[in-house]
Amino acid sequence: MSDALESLYPFLYSGTGDLTAVLGQVRASTVAKAAEIGELRRAVGARDGARIEECARAMAARFAAGGRLFAFGNGGSATDAAQLATLFLDPGGSAPPLPAFGLANDTSVITALANDVGPGVIFARQLAAFGRRGDIAAGLSTSGNSENLLRAFDEASRRGMLTIGLAGYDGGKMAELDSIDYLFVVPSSSVHRVQEAQTTIYQVLWELTTELTAEEMSHVPRHTR
Amino acid sequence: MSLRLLDCYTHVSYGGCHDRSPGTNAPDGPRAVSQPAPGNRAQADPGAAARRRFGLRDEPADALGRQADAVAAACHAMAVRFHQGGRLVVFGTGGASADAQHVAVEFVHPVIVGKRALPAFALTADVATVTGIAERDGIAAIFAHQLRYLANPADIALGISAGAESPSVLAGLETARELGLLTVALVGGDGSAASKAAEHVLVAHSDDPRVVKEMHVTLYHVLWELVHVFFEQPGVLGPGVVT
Repeated sequence: MSDALESLYPFLYSGTGDLTAVLGQVRASTVAKAAEIGELRRAVGARDGARIEECARAMAARFAAGGRLFAFGNGGSATDAAQLATLFLDPGGSAPPLPAFGLANDTSVITALANDVGPGVIFARQLAAFGRRGDIAAGLSTSGNSENLLRAFDEASRRGMLTIGLAGYDGGKMAELDSIDYLFVVPSSSVHRVQEAQTTIYQVLWELTTELTAEEMSHVPRHTR
Repeated sequence: MSLRLLDCYTHVSYGGCHDRSPGTNAPDGPRAVSQPAPGNRAQADPGAAARRRFGLRDEPADALGRQADAVAAACHAMAVRFHQGGRLVVFGTGGASADAQHVAVEFVHPVIVGKRALPAFALTADVATVTGIAERDGIAAIFAHQLRYLANPADIALGISAGAESPSVLAGLETARELGLLTVALVGGDGSAASKAAEHVLVAHSDDPRVVKEMHVTLYHVLWELVHVFFEQPGVLGPGVVT
């Protein structure tokens, strides 16, 4: 990374300590990063737009039939999982609240599983406890290689849940699984840009899914819900 | 537009990815429970609705680049505080509470191997304290109280608010400023209230809180990276206590 940083900010590594020059480099970097994520987002929208709509329809069908969403990820992706869950559960405005759980939210459960069994089971075991046929499992990773996500997708698929994966780079091991129904890969090698584009993917998924769910439920007689 | 018009399945495959037909995984797969409503027809342009929504992010993303001066100034000020032994204290409500925790883990455990850990913590992770303060003193006090007892004057307070003005974030920033912390705010819309409460205000120009959130993610990733750029150049930070 220091080589990469050096090429991005050559003046910094000349040893002058010139604040004006550093500020100039940092400004230029900000402009470049804003352009980079804009371009990446457009590429993802163009490539995956149709599948995002298809995935939203599948999610809406599950929610309309009483399904719940379980979202999971590690580190920064754990906060995305929390965000995804609260988007559905507490959207505010006119969007219908829908049942969703962030599987990284309960530190007691996570530390118990990690300590007693190992970090590989922290999501799979929760899905085994909570998940039902008709539910939705959504896992976020930048590398696509997290062991605990791979195991969670297999568990969710075994239970008949709809499975959705978000990954970066080339999709990693998540791209090799046959237990993910909808996999969205952000083609970037920057963890940061991947997370930013993933945020757009899951928020657009939420927008489309809540609209479709409201529509689906309006067609279903209340007593059958 | 009516989203019912979207009802057609198009499988797109591309390198490094696969697409398993969602109708084949289980007896109650999505197609089985999603009967097309009468009158549906295949959408002429699959993906158009999603692409349109992606397109709503274009202008706010471009606007981020126009804030490069403010971003650079905030990063420099933050790096000076870290250099002097300060810590980053992050807070937000709703979805922004997840962003606060994302920022904290970004600094404490950088995704880029070899980058040093810098001290940062979120005020949203301690549910016992947050709910305790909220019930006793009201929701607006949840961050101000914690800052009063956990923060040092050398620290940095970063408040995040994507939607309507958050009383608890504003109160947190005001308390932090009184205590002598460096104050930084990530806001949406025109950022008017926060601009009074914080020294450095970075604005995501959108009225949609979801779009604002996405711009915030880019902003705090850039903050992290550029703080490190400054931090690795102690010559531009003045006297410090952290080496």
